[in-house]
Amino acid sequence: MSPVSLENYLVVGAALFALGLIGFLTRRNLIILFLSAEMMLQGVAVNLVAFAHKHGNLGGQALVLFIITVAACEAALALALILMLYRRRKSLDVSLWQDLREPDQDPVVDEEPLPPPPVEEPLPHLTPAGPEPLQHTEETSHV
Amino acid sequence: MPMRHLLFMQVTEPRSLSGFLAEYWPVVLPALLGFLAIYLLLPRPRGSWGVWGGVCGAAALVTGGVCLIHWVAPWPEAILFYCFAGLAILAGGLMITQSNPVYAALSFALVVLSTCGLFLLQAAPFLMAATIIIYAGAIVVTFLFVIMLAQQEGYSSADLRSREPFLGTLAGFVLMGATLCTVQRAMATPELDRAINDLNAVVAAGAVADADYILGSPAAKGEPRPRHDQRLHAIIETAHRSIHDDDDPIINTVFLLEKDWQMQEKGFEPLKKHAAEVAKKLEEVRTSRGTLAQGQVPGKPELKAGVLPHRNVEGLGRVLFTDYLVPVELAGVLLLVATIGAIVIATRHSEVLR
Repeated sequence: MSPVSLENYLVVGAALFALGLIGFLTRRNLIILFLSAEMMLQGVAVNLVAFAHKHGNLGGQALVLFIITVAACEAALALALILMLYRRRKSLDVSLWQDLREPDQDPVVDEEPLPPPPVEEPLPHLTPAGPEPLQHTEETSHV
Repeated sequence: MPMRHLLFMQVTEPRSLSGFLAEYWPVVLPALLGFLAIYLLLPRPRGSWGVWGGVCGAAALVTGGVCLIHWVAPWPEAILFYCFAGLAILAGGLMITQSNPVYAALSFALVVLSTCGLFLLQAAPFLMAATIIIYAGAIVVTFLFVIMLAQQEGYSSADLRSREPFLGTLAGFVLMGATLCTVQRAMATPELDRAINDLNAVVAAGAVADADYILGSPAAKGEPRPRHDQRLHAIIETAHRSIHDDDDPIINTVFLLEKDWQMQEKGFEPLKKHAAEVAKKLEEVRTSRGTLAQGQVPGKPELKAGVLPHRNVEGLGRVLFTDYLVPVELAGVLLLVATIGAIVIATRHSEVLR
């Protein structure tokens, strides 16, 4: 008998699925939405592999292979779409596309202002260590 | 005995909230802590509660590991399981709470790698290799490329704001709690375990006095013998509850067991015999519950329930190209269509659409 029972793997699968669901519902970056969906698939894959091990039936593992295939297709298409959307709006924010919502729904308005952008430190000015070397035009022309 | 579906199994329903909490606190406590952690850690424009969120997350991981995970002995497999599972859930939590998408993608790679460790523990080495190559090697790298192409200057509202953080987190954790409660209900068999232990002890007992010691002390001489003791009562109730088929002959045996106990003058042997029968039946019930329905693949004697083929790649290939031949072909077509579609979408100029 295996020291780690089926139940434990089901717990891990459920946790991964729920975390992916939360990410998908709450985040607004298109790429993170997509990563969350992939994480839900990972949770399902853990479940399938655990049941395959429990029943001694390789059908579960074969199903996971198909999940990987579909996930790869999904990734290719979704990344192409994300690039298209980014070209149109110059941002990955999903809320910029909220004019696609249902006609009777209110638009989402962001109330809290964003913090000021981080101030970039100016580049340091170094004191010249000596006289600037003369450039030889003949040598550089060969390059 | 006809196999009954787990969801239709008759289980005592906790009626009140306190009863529910008393039964399912191992699920509710980690879920509540995890809810707090994720809610506090989700990105917001201002008012960071990062430290408290981290504390709640650590507490949720620890309580979840203590309350929800059961193992037989601290074997290497159990330790590895703890490492991989903890790392997967930790990285999953980090992924959805990171405001920087690059870090989120790297956390997702960590989730995938830990999941691959779990695959390896479950005797799926080919899937582990395939997942590492395809997910961590191809998908995550492509994501990083897209993040690089779509780089934004400074803060953006896409990364620093969350959409309905309270409701979204609540929905996720209600789903997780419901799933875990179902798993607990389906898998937990504490009453059965205790009943089987008691019955086996009675069978192993040498004399009536030992059985009395196990099932409860008998009444003193002259007093009326108590109808039955609590332990015996628990055994009988468990047997009645877990065996739904009233026509099953074992119900009669349970009845006889009770009779034997009440009238010990007949001797000890019938009690032992009936106890052994009931214990055997209850063990069967426990096994069928633990493994759900044990499926045997028809026409494939090499696939026995509970035993995976020795060579994983060979077995997987055989299954794929015999049982799942049409899906494999369809998956190939799907990949081709997706490739063409991605190329067409990505190379179309946005000016054409405007």
